Amino acid sequence: MLDSALAALASLTQPSLLLMLAVGVVAGLVIGLIPGLGGTGAVAILLPVTFGMEAEQALALLIGALAVVHTSDTVAAVLLGAPGSASASVTMLDGYAMAKQGRAARALSLAFLSSMAGGIIGAVGLTLAIPLARPLVLSFGAPELFMLTVLGVSLAAVLSRGNVAKGLVAGCLGLLLGLVGIAPSTAEYRFTGGSLFLADGLSLVAVALGVFGLAEIASRVGQRQQPGEEIALGHGWLAGVREWLGHWTQVIRGALIGIWAGVLPGVGATAGTWLAYGQSVATAKDKSKFGKGDPRGIIGPESANNSVEAGDLIPTLLFGIPGGVPAAMLLGTLLTYGIQPGPAIVTDHLDLMYLIVWAFAIASVVGAALCFLVTKPLARITKVPFAVLGPGLVVVMLLGAFQESGQLGDLWVMIALGLLGWLLKDTGFPRAPFLIGFVLAIPLERYYFLTDAVYDGAEWLARPWVIVFLVVLIAPAVFALIRYLRRRRGTDTDDRTVEPAGDDEGELSGSVWSLLTAAGMLVVFVTAFVVAGGYSPDARLVPRLITGVGALAALVLLILEIRRLRSVSTSPVPGEQPARRRFPGVAVAARTFVWMAAFLGLVALGGYVAAALVFVPAFLLYVARARTRTVLVYGLVTAALLVLAPILLPVELPLGALMTR
Amino acid sequence: MSTQTPEREAVAAAPTPGCSKQAALMIMSLFVVLAVAATTLGSDLLRRAAATTDGDFAGETLEVLIPLAEGGGTDTWARYVGTELSHVVPGQPGFAPVNEPGGEGIAGTNAFVAEARADGTEILVSTASSVVPWVLGRSEVQYDFDQLTPILANGSGGVIYARTAAGVSSVEDLVNRDTPLRFGGISATGLDLTTLVAFDLLGADVESIFGFEGRGPVNLALQRGEVDLDYQTTSAYGPAVAPLVLSGTAVPLMSMGQVDVAGKIVRDPNFPDLPTVVEVYEQLYGEAPGGPALEAYRSLLALTYTWQKAMWVPEKTPDAAVQTLRTSAHEMAEDPEFTDAAAEVLGGYPIIADDDLPALVHDAYTVEPDVRDYVVELLASDHDVQLD
Repeated sequence: MLDSALAALASLTQPSLLLMLAVGVVAGLVIGLIPGLGGTGAVAILLPVTFGMEAEQALALLIGALAVVHTSDTVAAVLLGAPGSASASVTMLDGYAMAKQGRAARALSLAFLSSMAGGIIGAVGLTLAIPLARPLVLSFGAPELFMLTVLGVSLAAVLSRGNVAKGLVAGCLGLLLGLVGIAPSTAEYRFTGGSLFLADGLSLVAVALGVFGLAEIASRVGQRQQPGEEIALGHGWLAGVREWLGHWTQVIRGALIGIWAGVLPGVGATAGTWLAYGQSVATAKDKSKFGKGDPRGIIGPESANNSVEAGDLIPTLLFGIPGGVPAAMLLGTLLTYGIQPGPAIVTDHLDLMYLIVWAFAIASVVGAALCFLVTKPLARITKVPFAVLGPGLVVVMLLGAFQESGQLGDLWVMIALGLLGWLLKDTGFPRAPFLIGFVLAIPLERYYFLTDAVYDGAEWLARPWVIVFLVVLIAPAVFALIRYLRRRRGTDTDDRTVEPAGDDEGELSGSVWSLLTAAGMLVVFVTAFVVAGGYSPDARLVPRLITGVGALAALVLLILEIRRLRSVSTSPVPGEQPARRRFPGVAVAARTFVWMAAFLGLVALGGYVAAALVFVPAFLLYVARARTRTVLVYGLVTAALLVLAPILLPVELPLGALMTR
Repeated sequence: MSTQTPEREAVAAAPTPGCSKQAALMIMSLFVVLAVAATTLGSDLLRRAAATTDGDFAGETLEVLIPLAEGGGTDTWARYVGTELSHVVPGQPGFAPVNEPGGEGIAGTNAFVAEARADGTEILVSTASSVVPWVLGRSEVQYDFDQLTPILANGSGGVIYARTAAGVSSVEDLVNRDTPLRFGGISATGLDLTTLVAFDLLGADVESIFGFEGRGPVNLALQRGEVDLDYQTTSAYGPAVAPLVLSGTAVPLMSMGQVDVAGKIVRDPNFPDLPTVVEVYEQLYGEAPGGPALEAYRSLLALTYTWQKAMWVPEKTPDAAVQTLRTSAHEMAEDPEFTDAAAEVLGGYPIIADDDLPALVHDAYTVEPDVRDYVVELLASDHDVQLD
């Protein structure tokens, strides 16, 4: 074994392999920077390049890219609040909060170091997994995977600090949205309204970029920069390194959770990253800083989202069962070289296995180092006013989301979800449970039905891993209840006065808007509950459960909101009339969404390049009020890049109706 | 950080326009003119007429539409075969795979028949997941394989195997059981359908569980003892099933078989020692099978295995362009260097692109109404699937 490992390392000193690895790393970093492409985009873009190469070179290229995509996707998440991939939205929670406090450098160095460590630990895990993977995968049947999905969703709701009702409502809404499409157990179409485009469900990239990215643009485009609010890189690089060393256990825990989530088929990178975040919060003594720039909220998830990709390779190589789309495409590449993944790969192609391991580890280190180097120049982008940055980001994000399905409809969904994300954000609903609910909806239903079909009665509850998960699930709930009871007995003012109206509280929190949102959610859940009645019993059960719980939580929330509004309006507060507060942000956000919709309308008419040619300069002139030169250069460069993109890369531009077919 | 670049100060502080109204209007009209130019020019550049009838595809691009997501077996197959094909077509056209997932392959295929240019540069990939809904006559399907011209086709095979610990050692254990065997499936309306019809034909005592993510996870579930019966395609049999057979965990029961030129179900050349479904029936009941179940099985076997994957062009494509593509594909398929290199991707079955292809494909893709009725009835009565 050691012989092959060293032989593989020696082969990596060949200039041709090193070159491919370097090209892969650079390509992976660039792709990670662009919101919406992620690992799938990296492999899809590089795959055509590999045809005609030797197997080793192709693998070095692809693994190099795959290992670092999740290193650089953090940059946009931290600096702009627009996640580079769906899983980076987890890092965004604390990373972006930290950046807003002027500690972006610190957040980024924590993230890069964690990504690097995650990659290395992932590579080691890949090596050690060879004898362990089989029993691990075989010990995780349907009941264990079902419990894991339940755990993921519950963690998300419980972790919504102080506002479990809002967390529950957001989580249920995400679950409901995740159920749109074909039912896993009965192959029935649900909530599609007869549209074939919705039949495969909504695209994760569109949902994540809409709810986080577009929502962020809408709420920030109109803001005049206020002192102390600007994103400054700061000088915390070394402080970040020191802090990171202090949290080394988080690094290892995050990486291990990532590997584990990658090994299990059906969990995936976004859910794995989230589980790592969940465990960081659940095991922390002082949870109050999470979401407001807690370093642990960056370290755990960042270690995990790199090691997930390594973990993903384990079932891909040893069983031929890919855990995600990037791994599936890698599997296809191996087949084209006549390499059949499966248990025999360890005996037949051990040298290739080690080549993958080494390439992954080296790429992780080099990728993190490169990220440190380029962040400073990249960070200058944050000095540009958001209103100027906005149109370019919209163009890039929509194009990125378009690559996954090639359907214009997904972009409309994305804008609608941007609106929803903005509403959730400003009315104080946590968006993380929403996203995690969306990701886990179908696995949750799938494994519930498989558990129910395969096991008699409740015998599955006695399986050891199920018991472990049950304990993990119930323990925090019990603690939370105890703490809640104690707090109620103590001072009731705790809740309201100590929490400053921080960013996560939202501008519209506690206003009529918040009440209307709760009412709207109630309507959505009740409607979906009724609609679900038309499905066959097996397809109806889970939607009914989710909408039932959601409706209940929304009702509770509605009552709370009404009571709060009443108490505010009856108790005379000197100098302020909260019910008549004005919200300038609402008009600006609404206007921005109208701009986005207009852009998409133009795309549908005249194609992507033409629409960008009108949208970008118009937005710059009339919203950002930029200078003439900026408008001209910006508009022309954007259009030129859009024209070049499909020529240089396998990127597809949406076509318009006016373009002759 | 209070001293910032002047630009930012200006933007942040000034509510007045960055430039005058007239200047803004001028800039906007400039960009609108550019946009109109981009729309018309863009479509001309993207959609210029192709010259493919002169036996030379020089300067063209073969756009291969894969109606499924990246990374599956069909995607891998299409990308590999498409790349190789573009190398052998005279003039060496470019190759652009386009994935258009949605509705299990239906959406992309619908889009192809509605929009594809009939000049030989746009090629559709078909596979079981887009063919079965067409056989079932689902209302979402707007395509008809009778209205498309095949360029090449590639078969596949499958083996049904069982977990020995479930008390199965031979095909006799499929019938007259105390407790039914559990079969792990993905969806009754996909490739699993052929296996379900086989079980129905054999009168096997089987309870089907649907909802697995793919065949790999079913194979793992069988190893865990969660299901008792599974099938794997030829390419997956070696790595996924053979080790289990060797260790005595599983036993292969039968192969799906292949439909030969005469329409007879024969043994799969990749599994010469395994009986076909028809042979198993004879072994169990002492007579040859017949009736609508056999007809349905034969039809589905041809569509979902013998002719499983194919590449098509629109019906109106000029004959000369079709001939160029098909002759090139045939040359490629006959080239021993290609067949060696592509062995894993092709899964042990040759690519067919000879002159008999259209007739054979036409036979296979002609589905009798009886077959459809039988399948719809089977799905409704045994698997609770109601089709419109």
